Amino acid sequence: MKLKHNILNNNEQLPTVLQELRKEANGFRVPDGYFDSLSPRIVDEIKRQEHASFSNVLVFSIRKPRVWAPVMATVVVAVLLIFVVPAKKASTIPATDDWTELNMAYDASYAEEAFLSDSHTIDKEIESKDINYSEPVSLTGQNGPSADEIAKYLNEHEYDAILLNEY
Amino acid sequence: MPEYTDNELVELFRDASRTHYAFNLLVRKYQEKVYYFVRRMVIDHDDADDVVQNIFIKVWNNLGSFREDSKLFTWIYRIAVNESLSFLKSKQLRSYLSLSSPEAQMVKSLHDDNYFDGPEIQRRLSEAIIKLPKKQQLVFNMRYYDDLSYDEMSEILGTSVGALKASYHFAVKKIEEFVTSN
Repeated sequence: MKLKHNILNNNEQLPTVLQELRKEANGFRVPDGYFDSLSPRIVDEIKRQEHASFSNVLVFSIRKPRVWAPVMATVVVAVLLIFVVPAKKASTIPATDDWTELNMAYDASYAEEAFLSDSHTIDKEIESKDINYSEPVSLTGQNGPSADEIAKYLNEHEYDAILLNEY
Repeated sequence: MPEYTDNELVELFRDASRTHYAFNLLVRKYQEKVYYFVRRMVIDHDDADDVVQNIFIKVWNNLGSFREDSKLFTWIYRIAVNESLSFLKSKQLRSYLSLSSPEAQMVKSLHDDNYFDGPEIQRRLSEAIIKLPKKQQLVFNMRYYDDLSYDEMSEILGTSVGALKASYHFAVKKIEEFVTSN
């Protein structure tokens, strides 16, 4: 009871040896400059850990299926939208330039009418001219060489006129 | 170096433009107290250095949300206690792989330590403290070396004042017996 009373009322005196030792330094010492460099070293370690934790979070997040699966799905969809779909639409969607605009404005009915118009013109020219079909058509026009001149040319150049006549 | 109160340091820390400045001041204000508390627990300087860095890193990470319902140093001291005990616990787990107990390893480290130059009686006192149970070590060091009140110790350790007084009493008895008998 007395001991408990002394303990709780802090009446205990320290032993002499401990009272003496308390006055002295505890014997532990540190390297020179230790406390001067402690704060900068702690700050460096904090920065290192913050950098490392960011990298770990990034790597850890990427490795989680529920993180990388949607990311991969998004990438695949983006690739499809950027490369595949435009390639298909290129065959059906015309380029938007002047020639395309002309083509888009192209109307087949106009083409047919133009053709018929040209044909009618040609027919009219033919009907208006008196063409003698019995005479050979001169390829060079009315001022070209005569048949005798041509035969002479061929004999001079050793072409066989009979063979040519056969053709 | 300017002197700031703990409240001023906390306010400075919360100012985004002065966070690093405030943290630097805080470390320089408490580094020796924290270091020697840890050193007495873990003995080896390199181990103490690791633990001290961990303590102040935790301070950095959590000071922004410090509720100020206790004194700043009490809060830092609590972190120091937890980190020291965690370190000693991990050391104990690693010691299962070796033939010697953690206490024996620490006593050996104390005798081989290049950064201990006290008289033999100081070495024996440290050895006696190592042999105490961890909670008694904490109570003895906080009361004997850091001169904390029992109320402060109660706040830090979450133990009643009566239990702390009893723990200190028995620690003193054991240490006196060890130091004077050998």
